[in-house]
Amino acid sequence: MSDQSTSPARGTLQLVSRSTYVREWLLKSLFFACAFMFVLAVALIFVFVGFKAWPIVTDYGLGKFITGTVWSSGSNSFGILPLLVGSLLVTLGALGLGTPLAVGTAVFLSEVASPRMRAVVRPAVELLAGIPSVVYGFFGIILLRSIVSRFTGTLGFGAFTAWVVLAIMIVPTIAALSEDALRSIPEGIREASFAMGATEWQTIYKVVVPAAKIGIIDAIILGMGRAIGETMAVLMVVGNAPVFPKGIFAPLSTMTSQIVMDLPYAVGLHRTALFAMAAMLFIFSMLLVATVRLLSRLRD
Amino acid sequence: MNKSISNKIALGLLWAAAACTVAVLGALLLYVFWNGIRVISPTFIFTWPHGVNSEGGIWPTIVSTIYVTALAMLISTPIAVLAAVYLAEYAYQGRVVSAIRFAADSLASVPSIVMGLFGFALFVETVGLGLSMISAALALSLLMLPIIMRATEEAIRSVPKYMRWGSYGLGATKWQTVSRIVLPAATPRIITGIVLAMGRAVGETAVVLYTMGQAISLPVTPLDSGRPMTVHLYLLAVEGINLPAAFGTALLLIVMILGFNLSARWILSRYRKV
Amino acid sequence: MHLAARYVALALVLLGLVLSSGCSGGAHPSNKVIVSGSTTILPIAEQTAEAFMKANPDTQVLVSGLGSSAGIEAVSAGTADIGTSSRDLKPEEAKLGLVDTPIAYDGIAVIVSPDNPVTGLSTAQLRDIFTGKIKNWREVGGDDRAIDLVNRDEASGTREAFSKIVMGKTAHFAPSAAVLPGTGQVRDVVARAAGAIGYISAGFVEPRFTNVRVKALAVDGVAPTKKSIATNQYPIGRTLHFFTKGQPTGLTKRYIDYVLSSAVQKGVVVDAGFIPIAEGGTR
Repeated sequence: MSDQSTSPARGTLQLVSRSTYVREWLLKSLFFACAFMFVLAVALIFVFVGFKAWPIVTDYGLGKFITGTVWSSGSNSFGILPLLVGSLLVTLGALGLGTPLAVGTAVFLSEVASPRMRAVVRPAVELLAGIPSVVYGFFGIILLRSIVSRFTGTLGFGAFTAWVVLAIMIVPTIAALSEDALRSIPEGIREASFAMGATEWQTIYKVVVPAAKIGIIDAIILGMGRAIGETMAVLMVVGNAPVFPKGIFAPLSTMTSQIVMDLPYAVGLHRTALFAMAAMLFIFSMLLVATVRLLSRLRD
Repeated sequence: MNKSISNKIALGLLWAAAACTVAVLGALLLYVFWNGIRVISPTFIFTWPHGVNSEGGIWPTIVSTIYVTALAMLISTPIAVLAAVYLAEYAYQGRVVSAIRFAADSLASVPSIVMGLFGFALFVETVGLGLSMISAALALSLLMLPIIMRATEEAIRSVPKYMRWGSYGLGATKWQTVSRIVLPAATPRIITGIVLAMGRAVGETAVVLYTMGQAISLPVTPLDSGRPMTVHLYLLAVEGINLPAAFGTALLLIVMILGFNLSARWILSRYRKV
Repeated sequence: MHLAARYVALALVLLGLVLSSGCSGGAHPSNKVIVSGSTTILPIAEQTAEAFMKANPDTQVLVSGLGSSAGIEAVSAGTADIGTSSRDLKPEEAKLGLVDTPIAYDGIAVIVSPDNPVTGLSTAQLRDIFTGKIKNWREVGGDDRAIDLVNRDEASGTREAFSKIVMGKTAHFAPSAAVLPGTGQVRDVVARAAGAIGYISAGFVEPRFTNVRVKALAVDGVAPTKKSIATNQYPIGRTLHFFTKGQPTGLTKRYIDYVLSSAVQKGVVVDAGFIPIAEGGTR
């Protein structure tokens, strides 16, 4: 957008009075300040959380922190490996369960469904993406956990329950974004494929999906970001035992749930450890964002 | 096997995937609706919880939710809108703009517990605002900023160029053009963005738990604390005793958020017809 | 006036409101009492708060339950007026300058599912179970079923008290135990899982608000009844505390006096399943 109110070039006619020019410049600076606040906010979070987390490096040791296997504030041992593994286990399982369902739904909506069906289902999926995580957690703890408990004889907390709850949570997000990616592929590609005698399925998996590959990967990454950062739903069904779980029906813990459990009363090194985990989560989510942006740039 | 059979099987699987998704989500909603609807009554909505297990109603939680969301909206909207104005009207692509966009995306994907921790450590403790509406609103507004900004930017960009040219042609300055022509034209989309952001804020739990606390009270000034509906639902669910109230709270929460999202779509569709 | 100018004016007015309310604040105004801490004490705190606010209309008693340790942390940091705790102060907390007002006695019941045939355990067996040494119910006379441990979170005073009395100084809870953040949840989970074992305040075993049932085990041969807890016969008992920073004054003192009043002690406290402070033995 051309910028009519920047400084009048030397030698050209001055079109506005000096006061107007100053006012326009001030306003532009105000808007820039507002926009820059985003950067400031992120920097503030990064610096503040990082500052509170830093002592874990100096007073405890980063290596010991990340690779230690015992998390016990009573014995001042803050090894987060079981929590890291827990977060990964829960996230990857949820992705594994939810991605096929989500992408399948997206492909269905984009390629197979009739326009009328689409008009009903697509808004429904989008609206469902807005349901708060605490409701999913509620569902998990009240219904799912008792069912799992009854069928397996265990308490019902564990990776499996978390997978199901998280998968249900991320499906609408991944599905909506994947469908957007699929719909942005021009119709001509599909028509060319049909003209060559391909069936719908062949067109889908050989032509359309590969064309939308990056958009779908973006969607999955964002779903992963949501899963790994998910707190309440996971907290309510995972059992909060900071150990390597012995099975998918045994209680375990994730970084997010551990922070929520411990924060109200943690002091000193314990609190620092929590901040360190939060810093790691923040850095990781920023990495995911950077990856998505990079992929989008590749696509364009 | 021949391609016609594999085609049918594959399409069948896709139908199954979509049906599964819709069925599971639909079942969840029905479950909450069915169990919650018996609890919803004017008493439930307008009275206070009392007794050990929050029997009675959830009025103060509804007020707390609305109060903090409104406060967060007031804080985040001007900043986000003006930021979007900058990006859409004044900025030229460059490293600074890239950084701003990256920051906006990052803010949007901050895990909620990290925001809760940050809000707790900064607003509640360091700045000293204590567990209060304002601490929670500040933390929530950080989450709402990117949503509103993105919507506003899109809205501004979609205002037709000829409107601006007409304005400049009449001798208006940039700011006059933006404030009198562009923004009013973009308002429906901006409102959509704000409403969507409010829907997100209403659903946050971890962030408000650590910036507002969980004591039930009716907030009056921004320094008061309260318990929002999400936290109330969490506590009821975790205690596992007063399930009817939990279902009622969950239902009201879903209704509120769906209400926000549906009105956002409705505003958008009204605007398109114009 | 522009849309924008109007908006700016509104925002300034609201900002002014916010800032001015900040000026009147400071710490908490004197008609507010912030009570925070134990989930065991939470029912008493909530009910007495409600009654107190009704009897004293201009006051506010704000109650939350994040755990005894959280309550102690909050009252020593000044963010709460009263820190409720179902455990005694740890040695490192003795220097915090907190004044203790005991408000009731309570026993900690060990609970299992009603489907579990075991009726009693010794303290030594309990310790071995909770450290993870004994893993199967048949080792203590029950069915052949794995023992599912249910623990409380580390902020819990109930956990601290249980740990001090049953586990002693050397034994640690098995880290693979599920950690649940609330008394109600422990009871709910244990009630539904045949192999589960957990511990909750004795007052919560027979609740009036739910229909899930749990069974309380006898420890060292003594069942947790009010009499056995009050007379110190039942081995796992503790005092419930209200901690304040320095002697309680003003509204805080009035609230505490209210909780200690005979009407509340014989009413709310007993209803909640605890033992009035006057009747308990020395602990």
